[in-house]
Amino acid sequence: MYWNDIFENFDFLMSGLVVTIQLALLAVIGSLLCGIVFGVLRHSKIPVISFLAGAYIEFTRSIPLILFIVFIHFGFLPLILGEASTFFQSACVALIAFTSAYVAEIVRSGLNSIDKGHIEAAKSLGLNWFDRMTCVILPIALTRMTPALVSQFISLIKDTSLASTIGLIEFTRSGEIIYERTYHELEILIFIALTYFAICYSLSLLSKKLESKPYINKDSENLKQLKELA
Amino acid sequence: MSEFDIKYIVESLPYIAKGIELTIFISIISSILAFAIGITIAFLRRTDIKPMTKLMALFVELTRNTPLLIQLYIYYKGLPSIGLNLSPIACGIISLSIYTGVFISEVFRAGINSIAHEQYQAARGLGLSDFQTFRLIIFPQALRIIIPPLGSQFINLIKNSSLVSFIAVTDLFYVIYKGAVDDFMFFEMFITGALIYMALTGIVALLTNIIEQNLKISGKAGSI
Repeated sequence: MYWNDIFENFDFLMSGLVVTIQLALLAVIGSLLCGIVFGVLRHSKIPVISFLAGAYIEFTRSIPLILFIVFIHFGFLPLILGEASTFFQSACVALIAFTSAYVAEIVRSGLNSIDKGHIEAAKSLGLNWFDRMTCVILPIALTRMTPALVSQFISLIKDTSLASTIGLIEFTRSGEIIYERTYHELEILIFIALTYFAICYSLSLLSKKLESKPYINKDSENLKQLKELA
Repeated sequence: MSEFDIKYIVESLPYIAKGIELTIFISIISSILAFAIGITIAFLRRTDIKPMTKLMALFVELTRNTPLLIQLYIYYKGLPSIGLNLSPIACGIISLSIYTGVFISEVFRAGINSIAHEQYQAARGLGLSDFQTFRLIIFPQALRIIIPPLGSQFINLIKNSSLVSFIAVTDLFYVIYKGAVDDFMFFEMFITGALIYMALTGIVALLTNIIEQNLKISGKAGSI
């Protein structure tokens, strides 16, 4: 075993890790926003809208992410932008487009879990659809969905490693560049695997903590907000 | 984007068919292995041997929380440096079945935990051994509950199998990618590839539904 490669190239590896984290953060924010929109559209009562959203969600969920990344990078984004996109842009767009379909399904199941009484109470207070969604239904649904969302974002972090296949120099690719030169593959790969593990496992511990937390306090907070609004 | 070239797709169908064949082969072998690994880990984590349960828990967390691509690379590029050379397909099958097997073991664990504890006590009270209780009482009941999440793990396996193309296995994604990049047929190949993967995952989803309907005990609600 030859572990010196890691220390000698530590700065390079860390710069790769920074790119991975940037990519993951942007993709988390983007896919959360897009996923909520898709989930609400999927949940909508207007058949055309819920069908279109459903079609997108089902299509995305049934094809591999790597197909998405490659074709957004080589086919879709150049067509839209009129010029070649950077690796980072492509990876980000692909991860958002892919993960938002999964987030949408989580959002939909969260919305379905809302007690009818809440919705009826909000209606009887005279709140319109938008206020009902943003002030009553979504806050409750989102707290219930948090564990599922966190585990989805853990897979997103793991999925960022796929961006290395189109050439983005993130954490995985930076490791590859090092071992392609030094031929100490196993050491670098173990280091990379353990780093991903440290990030993802700490997030999964967080998700477990959130799971065991009762949601009663959050609900009463929503009630307070509702009172102010009415 | 030039116009959609159907002729190109038709011409490359023989290659695509070979790719599909390999993808299906890898998926089926890995599914069977993953199922076996999943049951084994789930059973070992229930035993009373503390070091074994700890070790299995560590293995599960390590595998679950690292990207599949890295695991593939470890088997394919890492192991040769300690003198273990495996063929690319073998590496693909090993890493896919271990990765999916770990997820399946978690599904099993959730299913087993959802079986009432009295069932276990009653079985032990009737004089069944630990293994017999698992095999005859707990497992059949758990299996019924976990069929939908199990099906989605097999669907994930099919999608994840596309990653083996990065360790030089000429599976479906490899053929699609080659056609797209070498011949600049991005949209043709994307649509073809997406449709084929949709069909493959659709078949598994359909099978899952059929099995679920057949095994369902009428009047008994229970799914996770």
